[in-house]
Amino acid sequence: MNKFLSLLGAPFLNFIDITGQMSVLFFTTLRLIFKKPFRTRLLLKQIEFIGANSLSVIVLTGSFTGMVFAFQSYIGFHKFGADQLVGTVVALGMARELGPVLSSIMVAARAGSAITAEIGTMKVTEQVDALNALAVDPVHYLFVPRILAGFIVMPMLNAIAVFCGIVGGAVVGVKVLGINKTLYMQYMYTYIELDDFINGMIKSFVFGGLVTLVGCYKGYMTRGGAEGVGRATTESVVLACILILVFDYILTAFMF
Amino acid sequence: MEYAIECIDLHKSFGRHQIHKGIDLKIVKGAITYIIGPSGTGKSVLLKQLCGLMPPTKGRVLVNGRDLTQMKQSELTEMRKKFGILFQNAALFDSMNVFENVAFPLREHTKLSKGEISKIVSEKLRLVGLRDVEQKMPSELSGGMRKRVGLARAIALEPEIILYDEPTTGLDPIMCDAVDNLINDTQKELGITSIVISHDIESTLKIADYIAMLYDGKVVLYGTPEEFKTTENPYVRQFFSASKEGPINII
Repeated sequence: MNKFLSLLGAPFLNFIDITGQMSVLFFTTLRLIFKKPFRTRLLLKQIEFIGANSLSVIVLTGSFTGMVFAFQSYIGFHKFGADQLVGTVVALGMARELGPVLSSIMVAARAGSAITAEIGTMKVTEQVDALNALAVDPVHYLFVPRILAGFIVMPMLNAIAVFCGIVGGAVVGVKVLGINKTLYMQYMYTYIELDDFINGMIKSFVFGGLVTLVGCYKGYMTRGGAEGVGRATTESVVLACILILVFDYILTAFMF
Repeated sequence: MEYAIECIDLHKSFGRHQIHKGIDLKIVKGAITYIIGPSGTGKSVLLKQLCGLMPPTKGRVLVNGRDLTQMKQSELTEMRKKFGILFQNAALFDSMNVFENVAFPLREHTKLSKGEISKIVSEKLRLVGLRDVEQKMPSELSGGMRKRVGLARAIALEPEIILYDEPTTGLDPIMCDAVDNLINDTQKELGITSIVISHDIESTLKIADYIAMLYDGKVVLYGTPEEFKTTENPYVRQFFSASKEGPINII
């Protein structure tokens, strides 16, 4: 019985632990964003790393998702002769759901993991201690530029992903599947509203903070040498992806 | 006598593993105190507790009479400016070159101009016997050179207290001697309080004003080098003679 209870209790306690630590670190970071010194150079470096360097991945992800989505939705719509609605569905899906979710998952895999590996290595080689020893708050020095960059960059990447998705969908819809171009565009313009895009932007803003926070947190909690860094990196990507999906549901339900 | 740091009944454990079982130690201001003892007795852990990098499980640490364990994070950060710490593996920032590493505390905490900073950096590097390495990355340096860069960084802000975690381990005999002299000189010239963790008995006896020997989570003997040379304490005798026979367990 005892064993059973501890089997049940340990993951639960662990969950509470992680949530608590992450919330504390998140709010500490938020507070520190407005504290001097402002490290503009570090922030720009992170914007370049998380944002600019993710560009090719985001363009590829966005366009291929849009292209595949056009094919798949065509199958359904063609059955009752509503081919022209493909554009609407692709744009709606990209803007509200696929754009923000897929682009942030790609960023978690590319930049979130790198953030964890970097901070984790700094942790196990005592560089984080050295920051502390030099009277520099590691959360201020390491977390703030990264999380701020995540907030700034993710909506931009989302916009690019959504744009590429819609273009990719249109190319497949009109050129490959032979849907009437005018109708395709007409239906898209009629049924898509600015709200759909704003919705996705809000999501990607939250996800951007989430991915970088998880990356920083997992790196900061790393222990146990090179093996520990490897473990933390994997955990970081998994946790970030799960949180993106969970928060996606919460945000969707909230903004429905 | 004035004390820079006082440990009172310090306990530290990791999980069930007890490292410190009640350490009482007073570090005399302006003197060099060596902390010696076999590997794995928690000397580095003690050092981290002295400067507030690690909180003790029980007990108090007073720095200039103020209790570290009662301080807020922001106060701790402020207080650490008084400390210079040389880590065992130097802990250089590997994304920065040597110059940026040594300049880091100056850029963070002073309003010095670029020219002044670069002057201080080359002066500190010269002090630790390094030349023409400013543009190198830490990964391009040997272990001994990294240690010296770490030392230059630790003394960049001219701290009141310097903590050295095995400053001479891994250095050649000439460099060992140079580092020993450096510890000695910085203390004599600037009146800095130095705390050194070491295994090197010869330099310990030569340079230390006071020695504390740690074993099994406690201070087994504290005294001057003279007292250590003449003591009959079995732990000290065994450690000094590097003998397998005695109360220190070798596993």
